[in-house]
Amino acid sequence: MTAPSLVMTGIKKSFPGVKALKGVSFEAFPGESLAMIGANGAGKSTLMNILGGVVQPDEGQITIDGEETLIHSPSEAARLGIAFVHQELALMPTLSILDNMLISSFPTRNGLIDYDRGEVLCREALSRLGYEFNLRMQVRDLSPGDQQIVEIARTLLGKSRIVIFDEPTSSLTSREKERLFEIIRYLKSEGTTIIYITHLLDEIFTICEKAVILRNGEKVAQSAVKDLTRDGIVEKMIGSQEVVSYFQHHARQPGPVLLTVENFQREGYLDNINFSIHRGEVVGLWGLLGSGRTELFRAMMGLDQITGGRILIDMGRGARPIRPHSGKNPMGLVTEDRRTDGLLLPMSIRNNLSLANLRNFISRLWPFIARTREEAAANEYVRKLNIKSTSIEQRVATLSGGNQQKVVVGRWLQTSPLVFLMDEPTRGLDVEAKAELHSIISGLADSGAAVMFVSSDLDEIMSLSDRFLVMVRGRLVKELPRETTKHELLATASGMTGTMGGE
Amino acid sequence: MRTTEPVPAGTTAIHRDSSQIIRFIPMGGLLLILVVLSAVVPYFLSVNNFVSILVQCSSLGLMAIGLTAVLITGGMDLSIPSLMSFSAVIGAIFMRSGGSPVIACVIMVLVATAGGCLNGFAVAYLRMIPFVVTLSTMAVFGGASIWVTNGMSVTGIPRGFITTVMHDIWIFPAPVVVLIVVAIIAHLFMTRSLYGRWLYAVGTNIRAARVSRIPAQGVLFGSYAFSGFVAGLAAIVTTAWLGTAGGTIGSEGVVLDVVSSAVLGGVSIYGGAGTALGAFVGAIFIKLISNTLNFVQASYYMTLVVKGIVIVAFVALDSMFRRRAGGTL
Repeated sequence: MTAPSLVMTGIKKSFPGVKALKGVSFEAFPGESLAMIGANGAGKSTLMNILGGVVQPDEGQITIDGEETLIHSPSEAARLGIAFVHQELALMPTLSILDNMLISSFPTRNGLIDYDRGEVLCREALSRLGYEFNLRMQVRDLSPGDQQIVEIARTLLGKSRIVIFDEPTSSLTSREKERLFEIIRYLKSEGTTIIYITHLLDEIFTICEKAVILRNGEKVAQSAVKDLTRDGIVEKMIGSQEVVSYFQHHARQPGPVLLTVENFQREGYLDNINFSIHRGEVVGLWGLLGSGRTELFRAMMGLDQITGGRILIDMGRGARPIRPHSGKNPMGLVTEDRRTDGLLLPMSIRNNLSLANLRNFISRLWPFIARTREEAAANEYVRKLNIKSTSIEQRVATLSGGNQQKVVVGRWLQTSPLVFLMDEPTRGLDVEAKAELHSIISGLADSGAAVMFVSSDLDEIMSLSDRFLVMVRGRLVKELPRETTKHELLATASGMTGTMGGE
Repeated sequence: MRTTEPVPAGTTAIHRDSSQIIRFIPMGGLLLILVVLSAVVPYFLSVNNFVSILVQCSSLGLMAIGLTAVLITGGMDLSIPSLMSFSAVIGAIFMRSGGSPVIACVIMVLVATAGGCLNGFAVAYLRMIPFVVTLSTMAVFGGASIWVTNGMSVTGIPRGFITTVMHDIWIFPAPVVVLIVVAIIAHLFMTRSLYGRWLYAVGTNIRAARVSRIPAQGVLFGSYAFSGFVAGLAAIVTTAWLGTAGGTIGSEGVVLDVVSSAVLGGVSIYGGAGTALGAFVGAIFIKLISNTLNFVQASYYMTLVVKGIVIVAFVALDSMFRRRAGGTL
């Protein structure tokens, strides 16, 4: 048996008011992939940030290849051969692939950057992964999947022995995911230690040999993946609580047509989109990354100008056209990235909940906001959605991801919209928070609203949707019934079958 | 007010503390300066002196309140003082050639508001960078006001105008009353009204604001129009107080004073935080610093050095607290 490449012993870390890690120990071996599992707030990020030199532990030792080390900074971690592939792509979009890959270690000659040698190094690193790019291309012109390849190739330049992947598949399509797994297998074959952080349990069984499960800052289990079951993992993650059956499927009877989109057109993004949604149904919008799902939602909300087409809405007196950007548009949008275009992070829960509904807290004669009504509404939705907080005045930046997402949903609930558009509503959330959001989505449809949602999690979209719409490169190519198989959905999204309308 | 689960409560308490601290620094500084001055300067604590300080900062305070609206949106308006001097010059020329003082006041406010709208249009609808827009309009209006007057002060302003504007209401000259009224109304509107909430929302996260159907462009436009409007009020006050109008009343030193008043008053240069009353207190603070430095016979250039340092120090504090509080930087 080989010696462990990494041993972390008795790691403790406290932040003001929270004990993030209460003495965690684990070891990882060369050529092996170790899954780091835990609900949000279990301490995974803190533990990995300590390994990456981003934060310093209060107590505990780190031993790399048998040598005890202190990691004071990210650059020191890099020198020790520890690389971090982040959940959010951490590249500089306007710089070239070459600059992005070399940025922390430009080869020099006579004090100037030696681009010729750099290019050779980068080509070599990429070809080891089986890729070839035009290195002068700006990174922003690459797909998210390709950007991740660049990020991984960058870690190869530094001869990393330990590579940490933090939720690496969250912005990838299924084909890109397969490609990533190939790369991880290759890295393992070279003797690299992989630490793989994820919420997606299926991936653990696919790519990891061992797993460490954290809960509330403590290690609750470390074992070989083959000895674990899905339910067993979930149970360990959430502790003694009942295992929530988070994929429930119940039949719904859709009502009359509520909304019809006709010939939606936006140059370069949306190509002649036609569909309708009924009251009381959940429609899953499926497609690969970049197929125009987010763009469709934004166009329906009036956030991006459309160049053609219209929306008809039937609010009880027949279908009537409505301008997407008008205040009367009864749609609410839960955006893909709650931090950049969902929340006012430094502001209170109350402020965030009332944001879309402020007009209803003033009267025509008195321009000031009715504070008591605003507070009452905030308290009501904190209770309804079970938003865990100390008070409605708590800043949303200090809430967990799941509770933040509930605030975004609650904001729209206050305006009682007829149509909910949700773009990856459970991305980055833990199992429990996901289950809560799933029941919120089902509840909305049961109450007669229409929900249209995007998810890259195939299981999730399969279990929640009453019907599927599939997009390929800006076109709506197919409508599929609830009974559709995974295979059919995947195949349609990759453009392997015929099209619907608009030809 | 319910807790379903023990929340890391310590974290929120700290965020609250740090945002409080920065708010009390100007107040504390103000008190310190007051104590020192009252010990050193005879008659400092008299009502007359207090009123006189308020009169001196009425123009500055108005402009700082205007800038506050713009800063809250995450913008910047460097053109306020030159807009003030330009509209003052136009109004003064109108009066010199026999125009009615009342119409002159209207002209000053309209000219300045129009200038503010120009800034607002460029920032909100042409999506230009506020700093670049207002730096340019600062040059345009500042240059125009000197060009129109050939660099001379416009004199021959009717006595009636001066005595009316400087007329006492109870113990306060009218400019002070205008400042206090504008400060209170602006404060209430910013913190309690629909438009005010939108202002903070746009300044905190304009993308989230747009998604929530807040008319972000209109909000931005409005903030610059408002800062132009108060620059017009400041023009009236300044013209009456000085008895003349000229290109120099809105010089670079004044820009520095306006920005430092707002920053010292707790208005964040990063947007989304600050109040009109804070800027008002900041203006008093800046005037007191100037007066103190005058009293010890420091040169004009030294006061620039001191004020510059004060701005940098406060912006540094602001960013430090923001980072600690996990805000978006």
